[in-house]
Amino acid sequence: MPLRTTKKETDQALSLEWALHVRNYQLTLDKNKCVGCQICSLACPKEAVKTTKPTKTQQQKTQKATVDVDLAKCNFCGICDAACPYGAIKLTIDGKHELNVIEKQSFPTLTRDIQADPNKFPKNHKEAEDACPLSLIKITYTLPDGEPTENPTSLTEPDRSWYKTNINIDKDHCTCCTACTTKLPDGAIHVHKFITGKLKINPTKCSDGCTLCLDTCPITGTLYLSHQDNKIHVNEASCIYCGACKLACPVDEALELKRTSINHTPIRSGTWNKALERLTSPTDLTKELKTKGSQKAREAVRKRTMPEDQKDA
Amino acid sequence: MPKKTLKQKPPTSQKPKKPLKTTQPPRIGVFICQCGTNIASVINVQEVTDYAKTLPNVVHAENMNYPCSRQGQQTIKTTIKTQKLNRVIVAGCSPRLYEPTFQTCVSEAQLNPWLFEMANIREFASYCHKTTPKEATEKAKDTIRIAVAKTRLLEPLKPIELPITKKVLIIGGGIAGINAALDLADMNFKVYMVEKTETIGGYMALLDKTFPTLDCSICIEGPKMVDVGRHPNIEIISYADIQKVTGNIGNFNVKIRKNPRYVIAANCTGCGECRDACPIEYPNYADMYLGVRKAISIPFGQAVPLTHTINRDYCIECYKCVDACGARQAIDFDQKPQEITINVGAIILSTGYDMYNPKDLEWTGYGKHQNVFTALEFERLILAAGPTGGKVVRASDGQKPHSVAFIQCVGSRDINHYEYCSSFCCMYTLKHAVMLKEKYREAIEVNVLYNDMRSNFKGYEEFFNRAQKSGVKFTRVKLENRRVTEDPKTNNLTIHAETENEEIVTVHAEMVVLANAAIPTQTSPEIAKILGLQLGKDGFFIECQPKIRPTDTSVPGIFMAGACQGLKDIPYSVAQGSAAAAQVASVLSRDSWSIEPLIAQINEDLCSGCGVCESACSYRAISLQRKGDKSVAKVADGLCRGCGICSSACPMDAVKMPNYSDNQIVAQIQAVTEKKAILK
Repeated sequence: MPLRTTKKETDQALSLEWALHVRNYQLTLDKNKCVGCQICSLACPKEAVKTTKPTKTQQQKTQKATVDVDLAKCNFCGICDAACPYGAIKLTIDGKHELNVIEKQSFPTLTRDIQADPNKFPKNHKEAEDACPLSLIKITYTLPDGEPTENPTSLTEPDRSWYKTNINIDKDHCTCCTACTTKLPDGAIHVHKFITGKLKINPTKCSDGCTLCLDTCPITGTLYLSHQDNKIHVNEASCIYCGACKLACPVDEALELKRTSINHTPIRSGTWNKALERLTSPTDLTKELKTKGSQKAREAVRKRTMPEDQKDA
Repeated sequence: MPKKTLKQKPPTSQKPKKPLKTTQPPRIGVFICQCGTNIASVINVQEVTDYAKTLPNVVHAENMNYPCSRQGQQTIKTTIKTQKLNRVIVAGCSPRLYEPTFQTCVSEAQLNPWLFEMANIREFASYCHKTTPKEATEKAKDTIRIAVAKTRLLEPLKPIELPITKKVLIIGGGIAGINAALDLADMNFKVYMVEKTETIGGYMALLDKTFPTLDCSICIEGPKMVDVGRHPNIEIISYADIQKVTGNIGNFNVKIRKNPRYVIAANCTGCGECRDACPIEYPNYADMYLGVRKAISIPFGQAVPLTHTINRDYCIECYKCVDACGARQAIDFDQKPQEITINVGAIILSTGYDMYNPKDLEWTGYGKHQNVFTALEFERLILAAGPTGGKVVRASDGQKPHSVAFIQCVGSRDINHYEYCSSFCCMYTLKHAVMLKEKYREAIEVNVLYNDMRSNFKGYEEFFNRAQKSGVKFTRVKLENRRVTEDPKTNNLTIHAETENEEIVTVHAEMVVLANAAIPTQTSPEIAKILGLQLGKDGFFIECQPKIRPTDTSVPGIFMAGACQGLKDIPYSVAQGSAAAAQVASVLSRDSWSIEPLIAQINEDLCSGCGVCESACSYRAISLQRKGDKSVAKVADGLCRGCGICSSACPMDAVKMPNYSDNQIVAQIQAVTEKKAILK
């Protein structure tokens, strides 16, 4: 059988496949998890992933941008998978979730620094679970004998002091927005954002009463419509600077997004440097390289960003 | 049409200056050949001889049996002396056959070979007018009269000597090219081998076994590839394309584009550490895309040169390979395509073939049914170093099939696709069938659906018998109405066909292997254009003469070997490689190459530099060159075939064709018209 390359799209997912006799590569985009933030497009080294702003007619149904992967350009490296803050893209090789780019240290993993203290978690599991806007926290309880129990409040007094709270956080899909830290009691959970940056809304450009960005943002409470001026305002405490809002916004320059750094596992890779440059800026890349002391790479960036006429000098 | 043949004359040191002048009045001798009964049974040879004696300037005419024989030639030589002949005509067969013989004969009698003329009274008279001997005799007379008219005006000429660059270019590094290269390098000629892909070896390097001996293919070819790689006289220019070829026999100027590998060949040790560090895989063409290779890698273990290549279509530029390579510093992401120019005296074309993709043939189900394979895919499956480690497994479930069916003539012997027979499919199918049967014995059922079994070389028929004895079932079916269907549940296949007696044949198999046609390479038209060669109707390069000059092309100094000329198996390709090498050696071993002076001569004083001749020339032999303050046409001696088109096209009458001058042709026309056809 010859090499078969296929691309299938449903309402739920977009999937691409390379079916070789001895290997099967599959890249699947979960459309329910994808928010249309463009990070995959910026991270992709082959410019295979395109994020397009919704057109006027599409806006009736959905606000978020759509992601499309070019089968001819995609090389199934899985960088989009590694870069997606929402864990919406998965690469599998022969059915196994395998990322050679991470194993061979060509691309870092985003540092999801999350520490939870079960003792400080609220007793009410619903309250704890609701603290996550993406519903990634699941609380279970077990008795000393290991038996799971549904509702500790129904337990008798002696058992109640012995039960154990298990906090399960779906780290693969966690965006580290830190919304939970403000909703849960002090010290219950520590989260560090993996993207830092700045999101500004220009009130003169923002259309009155338009909530397209707010509807797109998956982290409730980050964007809100102020009743005072009927404009959108941003609460950066829980913003992960993914940029989904910017793509959903129909007005140019109404939203200003700038990512400055990305927290990741230590790495030395040209692919990452270029991805970082696109995700942040050449200046921010230089900053990171400076910290790493990588003179050679810094020089390469300088050359590349230099105006054409000065290059020969 | 003027004729021009390359002849091997002893080289003479001086170049012709001015045409030699003959001052004496013409004394023509006419020798009329009986050619056994070929001529004499139709034409009244004596009547023609008597007629020839009456023609002006003819001082001697006689007829004889076989002037081409040793005795006949001796008679001609003696008569030249005794009759003081200064022009000789032989009326007999086509000049293509015996003109060189007679030219040598007259020159041995101290007569300039271009003062000899042939009148063809065999093909043009006795052969084509067998039933009308009287008219044939008259036509023979006419032909001789015309020849005499021209011969009177013939001028003595001197051969043209071309210098020889003692280097050869071989285009294509398959088994034919490899063999030619080694032969020539061992004869101490410098060999450049240009290969389009990353490694030499061609298709043979991808095969598991060779028929009919079942020798391991790469075990035979590998050492030869290595020999080519390290021979001091051979320079491999791989991953490169031929851009332009100018010049002629003895001195071709070849422009080559070396594509960037992004790896510095001199620094790469082939250790493979970069490959281990690389995170990216992509489908490997050398595995027929059944398996994968890294973005920096070699296509297969025995590749020559053992230089890695980065495929920038897939590379993500993480530079992990750069780190892995370390101090060797072999990786250079800034590498650009490089143009180089080489000078060679001769060229061997050995560009091989391509495989037809049968997905256009819907009846085969190829590309649709998972367990339908092409023969080369099967070859990679059964190969121990292949992507499955030699396990023949199905694509649908990874299981070993219990039955395999081979379908012959897929795309070939089909007037809608490729009319010709691909020549080696029968034998490789027998090889595959025997390998399967000998490996799995009773555990596998092997069926071959064929139309004609072509096993016509040494040991091949015996191999067919071996296949039959090993339990392979052969069913002869018609090429029409064959169809492969799939059971969607089990992915098993059924082949429907008909016998010659229109009986229905149904064969069930868990795997189907197609003997798909081998076809001309995709690049053939481009290469043909660059080298000025012609492709046949079938798309393969045309040889100069299919029977006796199979490795010559129409361009002097360019030879060919292997499947680019027509499909052939390994031993035949190897033999042609050596044959072409011997021909190249016969050119390169000379100090100069002598060609007949019957080529265009430009009178630069008359030439206006208009360029009409340049565009009229089909051999790209004329180019405009600056001379002082004007452009003049210049003829490349080795390329001009003496066809005379430029001469007729020239508005200034500046092109002269030696011994086909206007007054000679006019004299011939006058000779035709002076006596009307006798029958009127």
